[in-house]
Amino acid sequence: MDKVYFEDVSIGDKTSYGSKKVTREEILDFARKYDPQPFHIDEEAARKSIYGGLIASGWHTAAMLMRMMVDCMVNKRAGLGSPGFDNLRWIHPVRPGDELRFESVVIETRKSTSRPDMGIIRADVRLFNQKDELVLTMKSTGMMQARPE
Amino acid sequence: MLYWEDFTIGRTLEFGGYEVTEEEVIEFATAFDPQSFHIDKEAAKDHYFGGIIASGWHTGAMCMRMMVDGYLHDAASMGSPGIDELRWKKPVRPGETLHVKAEVLDRSLPKSRPELGFVKFSHTVMNQNDEVKLTMVSSGMFLRTPEEK
Repeated sequence: MDKVYFEDVSIGDKTSYGSKKVTREEILDFARKYDPQPFHIDEEAARKSIYGGLIASGWHTAAMLMRMMVDCMVNKRAGLGSPGFDNLRWIHPVRPGDELRFESVVIETRKSTSRPDMGIIRADVRLFNQKDELVLTMKSTGMMQARPE
Repeated sequence: MLYWEDFTIGRTLEFGGYEVTEEEVIEFATAFDPQSFHIDKEAAKDHYFGGIIASGWHTGAMCMRMMVDGYLHDAASMGSPGIDELRWKKPVRPGETLHVKAEVLDRSLPKSRPELGFVKFSHTVMNQNDEVKLTMVSSGMFLRTPEEK
């Protein structure tokens, strides 16, 4: 299939995808490696914490979102990586058994001034759980190849 | 134990020593960011980045682990509301060793929650040659120092 290039993306383009089921084992496994705070790795301590139970590391939540974005969008694009993101908010904790889905809307497209073979795409990304509670929001930025002449 | 009062504006902390291995780069990206330049050594050679690089989310997760080991394990940490700005400045490659410099930028006390406060940090992730790999402005929530009874 032909790749999606910068010119193929327009402001207002909307993508929805999911769901991804979150397991207790994944939450514990990720947090033991990357975020071993009591409310991510210790059931008993988590129950007594302000969260009232085990919750996923925010980095794990973001990584699960990235996986969904790669599966439905990023791997179809002539992508060149990302310089970063802005305004990431962990709004609602993610718990074992939750099912996550995301929506993204393109809010800006511009050609790179320094590299004419490249364009920059910004999007509003929102992650929801199975109760349609908003879990995470961020403004993402991606770099894409311009369509070859 | 570090409480909100201990994070005075301008205070800096340095910590880390995270060795990035090829095995871990591929393992993380296979789970969460399966783009060719993160998981496929052969494809990565011909790519823009000229070799396998860590997923940016993996770099963020490694930063998180260094933060937990560096100061959060000894702090009354209540989690984080989010990240204002994150920039992936340079690719992280297997064989590098990462460390972090943190600085307290600002702090505040919410009226609604007298038991805790917010601290805004900058975190800079560097490799063994002090090349900047990632910069981040983010916030953490910490309990107030308990009153002596």
